[in-house]
Amino acid sequence: MTARRILLGLAFPVAFLALWEILARAEVLSNDTFSRISIIVPAGVAALLDGTLLARTAETLGSAILGWAIAAAAGIPLGLLLGLVRPFERLLSATVEALRPVPSAALIPIVLLIYGFSLAMSASVAAFACLWPILIVTTSAVRGIEPRLLEVGRALGFGAVRRIWAFALPAALPGIAVGLRVAFGIAIVVTVTVEIAANPRGLGYAMITAQQSLRAEVMYAYLFWIGLVGWVINVAMVRTERRALRWYWAARSAQ
Amino acid sequence: MTLSPDAALGAAAAPRDRAPIFSFRDVSVRFGATPILDKIGFGVAPEEFVCLVGPSGCGKTTLLRVAAGLIRPQAGEAIFDGRAVERPTPELAIVFQDYSRALLPWRTVAGNVELALEARGAPRAGRAAEVERLLGIIGLSAHAAKFPLQLSGGMQQRVQIARALAQRPRLMLMDEPFGSLDAMTRQSLQDEIARLCKAERQTVVFVTHDLEEAIYLGDRVVALRANPGRVVEIIDIALPRPRDQLTTREHPQFLEYRHRLFHHLRDRL
Repeated sequence: MTARRILLGLAFPVAFLALWEILARAEVLSNDTFSRISIIVPAGVAALLDGTLLARTAETLGSAILGWAIAAAAGIPLGLLLGLVRPFERLLSATVEALRPVPSAALIPIVLLIYGFSLAMSASVAAFACLWPILIVTTSAVRGIEPRLLEVGRALGFGAVRRIWAFALPAALPGIAVGLRVAFGIAIVVTVTVEIAANPRGLGYAMITAQQSLRAEVMYAYLFWIGLVGWVINVAMVRTERRALRWYWAARSAQ
Repeated sequence: MTLSPDAALGAAAAPRDRAPIFSFRDVSVRFGATPILDKIGFGVAPEEFVCLVGPSGCGKTTLLRVAAGLIRPQAGEAIFDGRAVERPTPELAIVFQDYSRALLPWRTVAGNVELALEARGAPRAGRAAEVERLLGIIGLSAHAAKFPLQLSGGMQQRVQIARALAQRPRLMLMDEPFGSLDAMTRQSLQDEIARLCKAERQTVVFVTHDLEEAIYLGDRVVALRANPGRVVEIIDIALPRPRDQLTTREHPQFLEYRHRLFHHLRDRL
């Protein structure tokens, strides 16, 4: 992504914040609920400088990354099996479809009992929420693999493990990568939700304490910060994806 | 030399001086209740270039898949090196018609060729040099680092042929490899594969629906008829080598073969 595209992407948020500032100064927006941007930004900088912002961010990202990684470690192999082995799919599809609609927030009371207030608590709820998109995207990516490719693996005399590792997995990777990226967004959303609702850690808890102590400007500072962190991570993931899947984009642009 | 039943079969249709390295022994295949192949039997001598020709739906591709060990026949057997083919082995290489799907798009040209070296367990140290040598003989040295889908169809098919050669197969099975290429590319690849296979003393079974291609390339042409697929004629091709796209195709003998085989290719029940 070029600097020019980043600037273009910033145009709308900057305009939005400017409008917010103007409306808040004109008292169209109530200053009790909508702090001015010119107050929110210094509040954020103060939180950054005294270290709390980064400490809270580390807690949230720690949970989100752990949950996401667990979901990937479980979801990708499971998705490969579901996509490649018909009997396995018949065995598990009903279970998957029954578990998938369970709201991840419904797990909060359970994991609270198991883990207490901890990293593991947010991470396990995030893992549950991330598992489904990763699982479903992997399964469908595997089903979409060109059958000829798998046959080439067979014709060359490779065993099943080698065919999955060296043929099915790379062939499904462009699809899986999208699933991983979507899932990471979900991991952050769910982690912050759990922090707001129950777990006294991280950015979500920082927001709720700021709100309860009637410091709206701090609350907004955290909210904007969450958006910024999410955006930066997404850009980083898209870049990594492009680099790792160079062949995919090279082929797409050649056609 | 004692003649095995396969050699006798081969001898009846075409006098061969060496025992077959590969043969079909009464191979029958059904898909559900539909018979696809009916008691196919013929042998392939070492270094021989055998072309299988027949109308679409005569089961040529199925027969090749039986030969490769990708499917098992309901009756009869494909015999390779004295044993029934039960599963694929790197000793049998197969070149598919749909090159763009048969190449691994995430591996470079060199990486695709190297795959076959990995498959036959070639020592790691010599792989790069071997890949380079193969890309050299197939004319792809300049494209080693490209991805397959960045190449033209003809070049992609060359990659697949290089990969098959990298297996050092004792038998190369080719399934209409030039079927989806334009006429000019097809002719140059025909000449190249003919030259290469003779130079490398490669045994080949080559499936095509193009009668002239079969005669042009083959030492022997096996004609199949459809519904169900069965061998109707086996012809020795006594055209001199190296063959030439102009003079060979105008050779009176070429035309005679063409006449003899032509009616087999017309669709009839």
